[in-house]
Formats: sequence, C-alpha cells, structure tokens
Amino acid sequence: MDFVILSLVMLAVGIYGLLTNRQLLKVFISVELIATAATLNFVILASAAGVGLGEAFLILAFSTDTAISGVILALLVIVAKKYGTSDISKIVQLIQDKDESEVEA
Amino acid sequence: MIFEILAVGLIISAVLALFLDEVIYSVAALAGTFFFTALIYVLNGAIFAAIFQFAVGVGTLAILFLSGEMLGDKPTKKTSPKRTGALIGAGAVLSLPAIFLSVSGATGAAASNISFGDALWNVRGLDVILQALVILTVALGIAIVLYEKKKGGK
Repeated sequence: MDFVILSLVMLAVGIYGLLTNRQLLKVFISVELIATAATLNFVILASAAGVGLGEAFLILAFSTDTAISGVILALLVIVAKKYGTSDISKIVQLIQDKDESEVEA
Repeated sequence: MIFEILAVGLIISAVLALFLDEVIYSVAALAGTFFFTALIYVLNGAIFAAIFQFAVGVGTLAILFLSGEMLGDKPTKKTSPKRTGALIGAGAVLSLPAIFLSVSGATGAAASNISFGDALWNVRGLDVILQALVILTVALGIAIVLYEKKKGGK
C-alpha cells in the first residue's frame, strides 16, 4: 500500500474530471479532489519528516485550499447568476453571441 | 488491510463525485471522499489533520449543498443503476495501482521528533502569519466582489 500512488491516482481522477466536466459545480468538485490529493501527500511528508512538521505544512495547505474554494465559489455564483446556467458550453456560447451582437452594432 | 479498504472507498467515492449526473448525489459522494481521507489521516497518526479535514469538509459540503440546489441545472435523465455500477467498478480498478504498486525510499529519510506546536509557530511561524493575512485579503476581496455585484444588480 503506497499513499504516493494513491494521491497520484486521486490527482489523475481530479484532472480528468476538470478536463471533461461541463458543469461549474463539478469543476469545483474536481478542484477539491486535486487539493485532497495534494494534502494526502503532506501526510506522507508527516511520516517522512516528522509528524509535527508535516502537519504544520498540512494546515498551511488546508488554509490555501479554503481560500481557493472561497474564490471559486464566489466566481461561480456570479457567473451562474449572470448567465442563468452553470453549463460552461452554454456560458461560452452566450458570451460569443453577445460579442458578435456588439460587433454588428 | 484497513488501508486498502479505505483506498478503494476513497477512489470509488471520488469517481462517483465527478461522474454522477445529479449534483446533490455528487456532493454526497464528495462527503464520502472527505470521510475516507480523514480516516486515513487518523490511521496515520495525524489527528490534527483529520480534525481540520472534517472542519473544512463540513464547511465546504454545507456550501456545496446550498449552491448545488440553487445553481445546479437539473439533469434531463437520472443516472441508471448500470452506470452507477460501472462507475463503482472503474473506481475499484483505479485503486488497484495504489494497493499493488509502491515507490521505494519515500519515507523515513529525515525523521525528527519536533512537536506540532513547535513546528507550527517556531519553524513555520512567519508562513502562518502571512497566510492569515492572505486569507483575510481573499475574504475581503470576495466580500467586495459580491457587494459590487449586488450593487450593480440593483
């Protein structure tokens, strides 16, 4: 059993989800999975460099992860309210239509 | 054996969180991911990490449940049991490398017995204060963006 491989698999699943999902909330979940994979690596660091130091790094990683989550959620709410959908393809289409209508005008 | 079970559960719940059609079920699967991760931390002796994982996880999930209900587009069709079974199978297969492969020399290189409090405040003290400042700035930034959006919407 190796936690480095486990966190690599988690990272791969998260990146695959980030690239293939079109829903904003699913994109957010993918980012959370990538962050979880990164923090899982800090547990391995904790066993290698001493539990105290590893956990100190881990808490810094958690705080960064929480800040990222806050920013993503704020942007997500604004975009979803502005365009009335949380589908990335539809949002891109709406932006392109708006640009085209502005150019024509 | 318990680590292997937790690894399989972790990967299966991560796959389900990403690929189930209904957002609410995805969030429930994400809760499972956080739960398994926290259990792995506890079994590794990282109790503080597990507590933080629970705290951060509960906050994230509460917000995701709310925003999932508010913002999530309703799926046109429900996920079939066959697809759910396929996702669980895919998750189980993906967890096999973590069980059977290993990277040598990953642990035990420079073990030290520094305590958590010493590590946090004496070794990483400057980082902790700077990160607190960054998070405060981020929180203020989010509040300003949301306020401007609300003001612009009126």
